[in-house]
Amino acid sequence: MIQVNGLSHDFVLGKKNQRTTLSVLKDISLQVDKGEIVTVVGKSGSGKSTLLNLISGFIRPTKGDIWIDGNHVSDFSEAAFADLRLNKMGFIFQNFQLLPAMTAFQNVELPLTLSGMSAKNRRQLAGEMMEKVGLKAYQEHYPSELSGGQQQRVSIARAMVLNPPLIMADEPTGSLDSDTEAELLALIRQLNKEIGITFMIITHDEEVARIGDRTIIIKDGSLVEAGASV
Amino acid sequence: MKRKDQLQFVIQNLKKHKIRTLMTVIATAMGCAFLIVLASVGFGLQQTVVEDTLEQQAVTEIDIHGKGKPEEGFQPLTMEHVQNIEEIDGVKAVTRRNHLGQVPVFLVDQHEGQTGAVSAHFPSEIASGMELAEGEFPEEPNEVLIGPHFSQALIPTDANEQEVYDEQGMVKEEYQYEGSLLGKTIDMKVTKQIDGEEETTTIPVEVTGILQEPTREWMQDRKVYMTTDLLDEIAAFTGTPKGSPVIGEGMEADDTISEVKVYAQNLQAVEGITEQLDEKNYATYSVVSEMNQINVLFTIAKAGLILIGTIAIVIASIGIYNTMTMAVTERAPDIGIMKAIGANPKTIKRVFLLESSLIGIAGAVIGTVTAYIVSFGVNLGLPAIIEASFGEELPEGLQFSAIPPMLIFIAVGICLIVTILSGVRPAKRATQIDVLKAMRREI
Repeated sequence: MIQVNGLSHDFVLGKKNQRTTLSVLKDISLQVDKGEIVTVVGKSGSGKSTLLNLISGFIRPTKGDIWIDGNHVSDFSEAAFADLRLNKMGFIFQNFQLLPAMTAFQNVELPLTLSGMSAKNRRQLAGEMMEKVGLKAYQEHYPSELSGGQQQRVSIARAMVLNPPLIMADEPTGSLDSDTEAELLALIRQLNKEIGITFMIITHDEEVARIGDRTIIIKDGSLVEAGASV
Repeated sequence: MKRKDQLQFVIQNLKKHKIRTLMTVIATAMGCAFLIVLASVGFGLQQTVVEDTLEQQAVTEIDIHGKGKPEEGFQPLTMEHVQNIEEIDGVKAVTRRNHLGQVPVFLVDQHEGQTGAVSAHFPSEIASGMELAEGEFPEEPNEVLIGPHFSQALIPTDANEQEVYDEQGMVKEEYQYEGSLLGKTIDMKVTKQIDGEEETTTIPVEVTGILQEPTREWMQDRKVYMTTDLLDEIAAFTGTPKGSPVIGEGMEADDTISEVKVYAQNLQAVEGITEQLDEKNYATYSVVSEMNQINVLFTIAKAGLILIGTIAIVIASIGIYNTMTMAVTERAPDIGIMKAIGANPKTIKRVFLLESSLIGIAGAVIGTVTAYIVSFGVNLGLPAIIEASFGEELPEGLQFSAIPPMLIFIAVGICLIVTILSGVRPAKRATQIDVLKAMRREI
């Protein structure tokens, strides 16, 4: 599903004439197979979020190649990457990243709207997804009216609604308490088993890392361990 | 993302900032209304001038002053020229009139008056559309037509000239000729001078018809229109061309025509005929050429007014730019999230352009309605205000402001272009928002 070859990324810091280059990722090569749950762990600042941002197309690599579902995305345009994210990827963020002016239902419906689906189909699919994450009763609530766990469920429903083959999660339990975290991890495992969705989860939490079929460890921008399949 | 969904999304966003949106729409509407009202003055006055010109003159009439090049001077026309002109396609009639070389005295029922006389070729006058208020066209040499104000030239023969006229030089009511002159025989006194001695003859003429009133109230027609045979008779008496009392230099063999007018079959034919006459070096003047000059002048004036009005819209567009920039800044986190989950940059750009366009459309619609109301008010109230303030009576039918559909198209077009353009930069900025920075609320 994901293949990364010799991926490096540098951040340029400082003002003009005083610029310094900070190497965040160094020559990373890895592979994520279809239907796998891969967790990426590492200390804060190790470069694990940068790896997710590079694979998601939020930033462009300094060097190296990325393939997603057979597409060489390293030279994709902004628009092509947007289409790829919409159709083949779902995202779960630590801070949920829901649109505060939209209800839970409208947030879940948003990817369907962006894909140009008819209103009738949108309502049906978004409704089904709200039911699947157990928030049918809260669909008219705004994010500010929901708990952290509920917001993350909305975020998962939004990530799942277009039925993408790949979900990228960046510290998905970072803002949740331990009970909600357990619920969420169970949900991820369920979705992986039932639908076969590939998950790439960035975390520094060992509990979360344990749900992965494989764990990739990154230290100071380098791949320490690609992890063996469980 | 479908257009309908984009529109719904935009409306939802605009509703969130009702006051800000309303203020921006009002500013745009004011700019649009200002442009329309300003330019409408140009359109209104042009309409008034054009209508005034058309009322004064027959639109199918072409005056021919002579033939030749301006630098060499114009030569008067002769019958040969008239026959040539009659052969041009689209010509309905060519009238030719000769002014009598003297101003004769007319006598009827103890009243007399001195007024000009012209000879006319009545068949061509009839073909040109000359109409009588009453009576018939002359058929015999000694029959004449009179202008509708001919009787005002007559005063009683025994009256004291100093008492007869009022301050404006008009004959006082009590001295005016009463009754109709139609069918009456008038004595026409013409003179000639031989060796300094004056000799007079009286020619009785019968009034067979009275011409219609001129189109304008202030125009006066006191002339007598006689046959060419009668002019020949007078010329035979005086022994001079056109009946002049004395013979002047170069008048011995005068076969020229004083006044030649060409009448086209319709308004469309006027331009073609004028072009052909110009090619043949005839000096022409028609209402069409006057209209062209008027239109050129007013087009320049209107363009100037539209340009000034556009400045108001440009100022309003600064408001739109500001509103859109604020919208992009405020919504940066939302835009970041949308981009992260797969919103195409083109979609984001379109949403923001749609937002500025909606503000522009709302401003244009409100501005147009306002402009119509202001224009109506100006046409209704301004004449009364001017009359009350300056004590001057304005001409009837004067229109200060007119809003033709073309002006609406121009104003709405300018308004939309300017407002869309003012939304382009903020929209482009929205597409360039960094997803990670936006999601971290760093923008």
